[in-house]
Amino acid sequence: MRGMSRRGLLASAAIIGSGGPAMRAAAQDLPAHERELYEAARREGEITWYSGQQSAETSEAVGRAFGERYPGVHVNVVRSTSQVAFQRLSQDMRAGVAQCDVFSSTDYSHSTFLKQQGRLMPYTPRNAAGLLEFVRAAGDPDGHFHIFYIGVHLISRHTGQVPEAEAPRSWQDLLDPKWRNKLAVGHPGFSGAIGAWAVLMRKLYGWDYFTKLEKNRPQIGRSSIDPVTMLSAGERQVGVAVPSATALLAISRGNPQSLIYPTDGTVVVPSPSCIQKNAPHPNAAKLFMEYATGPEYFRVTRRYFSESLRQDVPPPDGAKPLDSIKLILPTPQDIEAGVPEVKEQWRDTFGI
Amino acid sequence: MPRLTLKGLSKSYGPVKVVDNVDLTLQEGEFVCLLGPSGCGKTTTLRMIAGFVEPTEGSISMDGEVFSAPGAVLPPERRRMSMIFQSYAIWPNMTVAENVAFGLKLQKLSSADVRDRVAQILKVVQMSHLADRYPAELSGGQQQRVALARAIVVKPAVLLLDEPLSNLDANLREEMRFEIRRLHDEFRITTVYVTHDQSEAMATADRIAVMNAGRIEQVDAPHLIYARPRTRFVAAFIGRTNLLAGHVANGEIGLDGFALPTAQLGEAVPDSARPILLSVRPQSMALHRSRPQAHDGRPVLSAVVAQRTYLGESWDYVVHPQQSGLQLRVTAPPLQVHEVGEAVWLEIDPQQIAVVA
Amino acid sequence: MTETAAILPKAAAEEARRPAWLRRLRYLEPSNLLWILLVAALLFLVAVPIGKLLIVSFEQQGTGAFTLSNYATAYGRARYLEALANSLMLGALSSLLSVIFAVPMAWAVSRTDMPGKGFTWAIVMGAFIMPPYLGAVGWILLAGPNSGFLNQAWTWLTGLQAPLVNVYTFFGLALVIALHSFPLIFIFVKSALDLVSSEMEDAANILGAGTSTAMRKITLPLVWPAILGGIIVVFLETVALFGTPAIIGIPARINVVTTQLWQFFEYPVRVEVAAAYAMPLLLITVGMITVQKLLLARKGFVSQTGKGGERRPIKLGRWRWAVLGYCGFVGALAVVMPLMVLLQASFAKAWGRGLAWSNLTFENYAYLLFRHEMALTSIWNTLWFSAAAATAAVCIAVLVAYIVARKLVPFGSALAFLAMAPFVIPGIVMAIGFYAAYAAPPIALYGTALIIILAFTARFLPIAFANSAAAVRAVHPEMEEAARILGGGRLRTIARITAPLIIRSLIGGWLIVFIVASRELSAAVFLVGPRTRTMAVLLYDLSEAGNFEVLAAFGGLLLALTLILVAIGMKLAGRDFMLRRN
Repeated sequence: MRGMSRRGLLASAAIIGSGGPAMRAAAQDLPAHERELYEAARREGEITWYSGQQSAETSEAVGRAFGERYPGVHVNVVRSTSQVAFQRLSQDMRAGVAQCDVFSSTDYSHSTFLKQQGRLMPYTPRNAAGLLEFVRAAGDPDGHFHIFYIGVHLISRHTGQVPEAEAPRSWQDLLDPKWRNKLAVGHPGFSGAIGAWAVLMRKLYGWDYFTKLEKNRPQIGRSSIDPVTMLSAGERQVGVAVPSATALLAISRGNPQSLIYPTDGTVVVPSPSCIQKNAPHPNAAKLFMEYATGPEYFRVTRRYFSESLRQDVPPPDGAKPLDSIKLILPTPQDIEAGVPEVKEQWRDTFGI
Repeated sequence: MPRLTLKGLSKSYGPVKVVDNVDLTLQEGEFVCLLGPSGCGKTTTLRMIAGFVEPTEGSISMDGEVFSAPGAVLPPERRRMSMIFQSYAIWPNMTVAENVAFGLKLQKLSSADVRDRVAQILKVVQMSHLADRYPAELSGGQQQRVALARAIVVKPAVLLLDEPLSNLDANLREEMRFEIRRLHDEFRITTVYVTHDQSEAMATADRIAVMNAGRIEQVDAPHLIYARPRTRFVAAFIGRTNLLAGHVANGEIGLDGFALPTAQLGEAVPDSARPILLSVRPQSMALHRSRPQAHDGRPVLSAVVAQRTYLGESWDYVVHPQQSGLQLRVTAPPLQVHEVGEAVWLEIDPQQIAVVA
Repeated sequence: MTETAAILPKAAAEEARRPAWLRRLRYLEPSNLLWILLVAALLFLVAVPIGKLLIVSFEQQGTGAFTLSNYATAYGRARYLEALANSLMLGALSSLLSVIFAVPMAWAVSRTDMPGKGFTWAIVMGAFIMPPYLGAVGWILLAGPNSGFLNQAWTWLTGLQAPLVNVYTFFGLALVIALHSFPLIFIFVKSALDLVSSEMEDAANILGAGTSTAMRKITLPLVWPAILGGIIVVFLETVALFGTPAIIGIPARINVVTTQLWQFFEYPVRVEVAAAYAMPLLLITVGMITVQKLLLARKGFVSQTGKGGERRPIKLGRWRWAVLGYCGFVGALAVVMPLMVLLQASFAKAWGRGLAWSNLTFENYAYLLFRHEMALTSIWNTLWFSAAAATAAVCIAVLVAYIVARKLVPFGSALAFLAMAPFVIPGIVMAIGFYAAYAAPPIALYGTALIIILAFTARFLPIAFANSAAAVRAVHPEMEEAARILGGGRLRTIARITAPLIIRSLIGGWLIVFIVASRELSAAVFLVGPRTRTMAVLLYDLSEAGNFEVLAAFGGLLLALTLILVAIGMKLAGRDFMLRRN
């Protein structure tokens, strides 16, 4: 083990030596608190990140960018769905092995559960101060977990078939009979985001909202992404609760779609990340937390149409800044108690 | 020491006893046929000798070593035997030469030796020119020769043949029958040959064991099996015969309508009063238009022709002796023609009559 | 006794003093040991998962106490019962449609002078090797009510806005399933028709029946068992199918048993309820097999009448082109049209933009092959899982077939029964059984490659067994006895004689298992972990990732892989190796 870290040290020394002034400059450009952590992290050499957030491509890009910014610290990206990531972590815990440093999932309850079990290392990254306020507020006040990814779910329209003037403005507008056979939506049984969205709609308008929505015969897919596909194909005209990143990607590929930020609130689903108490690379994990809450991270992810959660980084092309629009977000209790209920209600209402 | 000994051998499948207490001994170099109708247990007996079937009772030993007993069967590959099968079982994925060489290679012979012995045996069975052919390119007779060569080339301690000729047409069968005997005369391999065809058995065997319903009825040289059958079954199964029931008393055998002095018979008949069964072959009687001179005191009876069938090589008459309820089959040469209903004289050769029981 | 001892040579006499079982040991053939191993393997692969499924259905989650509440939950809601009813109706409709597609084609290929028989074979083969979920995606592109190519063409031609066809309907779902199931009936019926002597029809003709009357009254009734057998297989396949109902059924709001089972696997996983809910699938299967036995019990059918008589093609005259047209029509629906749209989409930047040079790209393939995190891994997974499963299945199958055919052990038929049992167990039920039995500690196979390989092995064991049994039956036992009596042991005989004689058939069987395993979704979807996803599962995942272009390209890769394998199979095992009926 010592041999390993010395070899890592030698390697990084070699890189710094050969990399010349540019590399050294990059390290010197770091803010003081990051530089301190970086020195410690470089001795640890790597960090393992279990993640169910972002797409695989985005996650890999984040890992690469981190390695470029902090030479000598390698990110092992273990990307899967959130449930599987959590299951993997549980297996690690049961087997008593510490492999994971930072754990990220889209399910709020994972982090609250880990906190209750006393499995987390509290650490509040300084860079988190620059996050949008609602994002900062959604994190753990005790610093056990933080938000640097959110799902943003809104309405999209087929620009060829739905002119802007006729487009729905709010979630309520979707109940208008003129959208009969024109809507597409995902399924809460398959998509956690749709579950969160359904919980919020129920909270705002009661389950009645869905019995009315059902009368418009929306096409039901599985993932929240499905409606984007249906719009691209021209199969349906209005996508309900679509994730902004996917819709923006489709738009960038030339599909005739456009985003609508509902006046009664764009749904955001905060997705927490946390450092494990037994993290094998605690300094690198802290550094990663700093990185992921800082501007560099969002500069990378916005290229993949993920939302920027900082004021100093512009939103991805085609998206509005989140602090300029009305947002609605579920509480952790909403998700834990509400999602299983709305799944059943949904199946009774929609028959699937 | 005998080469092969079957002792009290039995095989049952559930309640059905297919082989029943068979005793048989083969001396080295002997050729024995197991002859019997289908289902008599002869193939099962052969497969027990080969080691494919475990006996339920009794034992099989070779050169004094027990090879098979209930619960203890030496696998076939360790018996130094070879076998020829009804289906020939020539392996289609090997050439003629490879088929023949298979057993030799298993004996770990040098490849030069293998080559020599294969060439030699193929010459013996007149297949040298087809050594590199595949079995699919051969006729039935040729495949049979390959099977023979493959079985003989390993110089087995015992050669087993299971109805080897039953899939050949009649002419070829006759030819192969002599071929098998010729090879036996050349190599003197102890042989057990299973067949249901009595002429095959007659032509090839030193001794024939006639089997019926799982039992051996009689073991004897072929001509004795024919001339001196010892059971009703053997008498009826081998060739055609007239079975006559009679009674021995006072130096005479009383039959239906006439009597024979025991002294005239070819074998001794104990002179105690008892029932007796005689086998009279159709060839051992002759028909005459006029009463023949009765030489040696042969019995002559007057009779009437009841039926006749022309068989090509001979006539087959059924005659009805007067003052008797008997119906007797008699063979006569083609030119000796009698009409149905004609009165004839029947002459019997007592020397050829066999006492069955 | 003393006499016997005198006859026995010394070694044997010593043997006689040893305990009986030891004496037996000397004569023990390796096959007996193998038999024990095979029984263990088959129990592990077949009996334990199904048994565990049965037990779990009566267990309380967590405590394992006996309860009937799982059944109460599984059948306590109208929606769950409705899904059951939907599955039954779907099975019936798909079987009916399959018969309509398959029987005329089988008749035309087997009995008539229709031209283009090679073409018809190609269609059947194509429909057979195309994974059903891929066909489903193709049909979404073709017959989506608004965007489907067929409906757009219809609107363009007639000016009517109402769609011509809608894939998101019960009929649409059944049709798409039938288009990939009919080859099963085709294979059954064609091989039966091949056995019907022309004299049977001549006899009807001479009494005054025309061609069509003879066909209806004589030929078809003779092959009725084959049709019935095919219907049962298609019915069972349909009821157990997961991919197509998930892709088409959910938007069409048709819940079926398999999609409902999937719901029980959501967090928190309710295996116990799923097990209880899977029981009707088993009962239906047993019921159908019983019905088949009853229906066929009395009459004599072609299978008994054997091969006698000559077979002449029926002259169709002008009708031959109409019949060929029908075959072409089925081929267009099943293979040509879905394949065309999938290929188009796979090379498109955005498939909605249609055929245009500006829309052409290799990017989708490049993305999958060079940048996608899982695509190459899943291809590799698919290859080696399928290869491992095919190898295991064929090895077990050929050993069982051999032991049974040669009657090497008592109760060999019990082995054959176990090897054939998965045939009547729907794949999805099998997968749930594996999950229940082996996912959790102490065995803890969840997420490993092994559990998928084992499940595939068990699921496709019957295919391998039927194939191996036919191959072994074709080798006369005397072929082996001839080698044994010449001094070859059992194992050497198998290696030198039996194996070379059956190897070609086994390669064919291996490839069939490999191909069906490489596209298997129903069993895999419950058992994969993040790093053990197969192509079929990844394709299914992609189908909810909103990118049909990449999905189509991945389907293209899967098809290319399958075609290569089929080509290898034709080369090694004969042109019709996949469509032969054992």
